[in-house]
Amino acid sequence: MEEKALNPQKNTRTVAEINEKIRKGDAQVLTAEEMKRLVESSGVEVAFKEVDVVTTGTFGAMCSSGAIINVGHSDPPIKIDNAWINNVPICHPGAAVDLYIGATAMSETEPFEYGGGHLIEDLVNGEEVELRATAYGTDCYPRTQLKTNLTKDDLNQFYLLNFRNCYQHYNCAVNGRDETIYTYMGKLLPRMKNATYSGAGELNPLMNDPDYETIGIGTRIFLGGGQGYVIGEGTQHEASSQNGTLMVRGDAKKMNTEFLRGASFTRYGTTLYIGLGIPIPILNEGLVKKTAIRDEEIFTNVVDYGVPRRDRPKLAKVSYKELKSGSVTVGDRKIRVSSLSSLKTARSVASTLKAWIDEGEFFLSAPVETLPLDTKFKGMKQTEATAYVANVMQAAVTCKETEEVSAIAKRIVTKSVNHIMVVDDQGRLNGIVTSWDITRALAEGKTVLSDIVTRRVFTAKLDEPLETASKRMAQHHISALPVIDNEQKVLGIVTSEDVSKLLGRS
Amino acid sequence: MARILLKFSEHIVSKPIVSEVILELEVPITIVTAQLNSKGGEVLAEVPEETLDKVVEAFRKKGVEVRLPKLIEVDKEKCINCGSCVALCPVEAITLIEDCSIVFNKEKCVGSTCSACVDACPARAIKSVKQNNHEVHSNRP
Ligand code: SF4
Ligand code: SF4
Repeated sequence: MEEKALNPQKNTRTVAEINEKIRKGDAQVLTAEEMKRLVESSGVEVAFKEVDVVTTGTFGAMCSSGAIINVGHSDPPIKIDNAWINNVPICHPGAAVDLYIGATAMSETEPFEYGGGHLIEDLVNGEEVELRATAYGTDCYPRTQLKTNLTKDDLNQFYLLNFRNCYQHYNCAVNGRDETIYTYMGKLLPRMKNATYSGAGELNPLMNDPDYETIGIGTRIFLGGGQGYVIGEGTQHEASSQNGTLMVRGDAKKMNTEFLRGASFTRYGTTLYIGLGIPIPILNEGLVKKTAIRDEEIFTNVVDYGVPRRDRPKLAKVSYKELKSGSVTVGDRKIRVSSLSSLKTARSVASTLKAWIDEGEFFLSAPVETLPLDTKFKGMKQTEATAYVANVMQAAVTCKETEEVSAIAKRIVTKSVNHIMVVDDQGRLNGIVTSWDITRALAEGKTVLSDIVTRRVFTAKLDEPLETASKRMAQHHISALPVIDNEQKVLGIVTSEDVSKLLGRS
Repeated sequence: MARILLKFSEHIVSKPIVSEVILELEVPITIVTAQLNSKGGEVLAEVPEETLDKVVEAFRKKGVEVRLPKLIEVDKEKCINCGSCVALCPVEAITLIEDCSIVFNKEKCVGSTCSACVDACPARAIKSVKQNNHEVHSNRP
């Protein structure tokens, strides 16, 4: 049935009307960045009249991604129990020959450098990969071993099936520790010398429709250079705190590696970078306002990833405008910040999607069901207690820098300890001396404490998990860590002996 | 131009060795970075390709440890323009331009003596590579 021409007075339009325009080649499509400029210069009313669709895009590391493949039946058949492709261990979630390639699964021969993400990229690229499988053998599936080479053309199905993609926004990470750490937020230099962030800000799909008015189950999207669908809310979805996520699916055989790349995060693991774009139909003026959102209106927290806890300290609030400018301010410090996701490719996602719609190759779909707005992202219920530094910390024996070596020697004997913290008048840590240092000083006839103090001291925090403190001691071959507060004041000491007593118990 | 890394020990750091070599050999030596104090330190310098051998020899005669640092290269095909490397670079050898792609300035980069960006690249697009065909082995004792 032919739609009647749009009434100029009408203040809504439907997805069907927009698709009709796409078919005729006269739908007006802008990228989210272009839309913001138009609304700024001409206002909401004009923008509503002129624009039918706004395209969004993001390109970033999305760890909860993977691909479901069906490799077909061998002869004699096998009911795969364990499988590896290019030495990456593969999940076997279903019956005999359905496999799931997790993006973060790492190669057993090249861990951290090659993983599921790279494997998916290689398959998309048309490369041949090697499947190895073992099985226990049944009467109907007698085979127990298998080795074969495959390309994507040999697969029955090859679908990207991502259970959490497209975070609305993400933390900005810094590291307050004294050592460089490698995280899923990349390489973080000690003492907050750099910061990293992720996400496309005002180009992000969910930021342009934060109430999920047009994005729901069945929404057709740009995924990895091909077309895909939203199949539900992503895991950990929490729309109320702007932490919405999507579950998506798309035919990986039609994707391309410009928008899909395996990646390696040093000492963290492998992952997959994916380009994801969503067209937002401009159904009413409300959606004009929503898609006009700017980077300066989108905020995120600067979070200290040096603290290895679920609830990490938030140090500052910053906008995506600041993030994209290359530096953020935390307290009185300016910290250089770089992105982990690519804004360049995010733009390319939005403009490619725009071109598809312009050329009548992509039609919008109205969701068949909306996504929940009220779900909460809960922490894990833990039935076993975790040990923290506070659980094993002992009182520290301290001294002042002005004291004589002989006095310290006496204290080591009377208190029967191996480590003495050197503190200033405010109780702040200045160094450490061990019974070994003292023995040597006495043997060498040294009497001045400051000659033998170790200045570079590794420390622990009270609420730090015991496991990370223990790892730090092992890494630096030391047997104790002073426990300090944020002002460097000594609270106590944790020794490797006490740690092994507690952790070795189970 | 070839790049050399000169290591000065405590005993020779106060001598004007770089100037001496420049005068004796009459070759231009450009200092890229220098970290020196009374306890010794390192100088990263650039010399014309064809003079490399005699410059290295001259420094070694004067007791300087000479090494040929590897150079950093960014593989444009592999790079996904994420920008992770940008804030890590101490000398701003990697920058983002208008269209949000990265530009690597080989001249500014101090090479493998830094390498801060190398293990931060998720696309493994940054590599240290040997300077073309030069085999100057470390003369460290
Ligand atoms: S090696 Fe160092 S100086 Fe060179 S580009 Fe990387 S971070 Fe910059
Ligand atoms: S970190 Fe690697 S991939 Fe990212 S911009 Fe730098 S060179 Fe390119």
